[in-house]
Amino acid sequence: MALVGLGIFVWWLGAMGSGPEAYETFVWAMTTPVGYIVMVGLTWAFFTHMMSGLRHFVLDIGAGYELDTNRLWSMLSPVIAIILTVAVWGFILVRGGAV
Amino acid sequence: MGNGTSIGRVRGLGASHEGAHHWLTHRFTAISNLILMSWFIVSLLLLGDYSYENVTGWISQPLSAVAMILLVTSLFMHARMGLQVLIEDYVHNSGSKFAALAALNIAAFGGGAFAIFSVARLAFGVQV
Repeated sequence: MALVGLGIFVWWLGAMGSGPEAYETFVWAMTTPVGYIVMVGLTWAFFTHMMSGLRHFVLDIGAGYELDTNRLWSMLSPVIAIILTVAVWGFILVRGGAV
Repeated sequence: MGNGTSIGRVRGLGASHEGAHHWLTHRFTAISNLILMSWFIVSLLLLGDYSYENVTGWISQPLSAVAMILLVTSLFMHARMGLQVLIEDYVHNSGSKFAALAALNIAAFGGGAFAIFSVARLAFGVQV
């Protein structure tokens, strides 16, 4: 997340700041098969990080420590992350607006 | 470092008075990441057309540019703090730890500055 995600995020912004040619190079790289794997992987990594962070927010306020509750959310969090990843890419595919 | 009193033996060795601040700031940046990333993902999905003109036209608007700069700031602060903890937890040699923390700070500030400049350049309409 921190290394690959931020690297590509900065590449994207830097490419736009540098002009259309650099942006075309970025779009080319991200629409290759490897590019799609990286982008879907990053989407998944982001949502997993987000769900895990939200779960720990709840634990930090002192809630959800009962064994059943804790166990339930430890399993639900990564599953919700996968559902969100599928939802985002499903939206992109269904709308047909992928680059 | 003193070796007489018990406070003298431990002073300067730990994260006293600093650890909670680091931990809290990490959580605050997590909250701003959550808000700004939600904006970012929804905006990207609604954008639809990812041509250069369309995407830069969107980012150049004042609200998008400010949100994007805040997102860069929040993400890099959060990542820097998280990786700092990672290094402190797993790199035990003090020389390597110092070098890793120095490299992390250079990368975080360098990457963040470049990203913010790129957004500013688009927002201020520099012809590229």
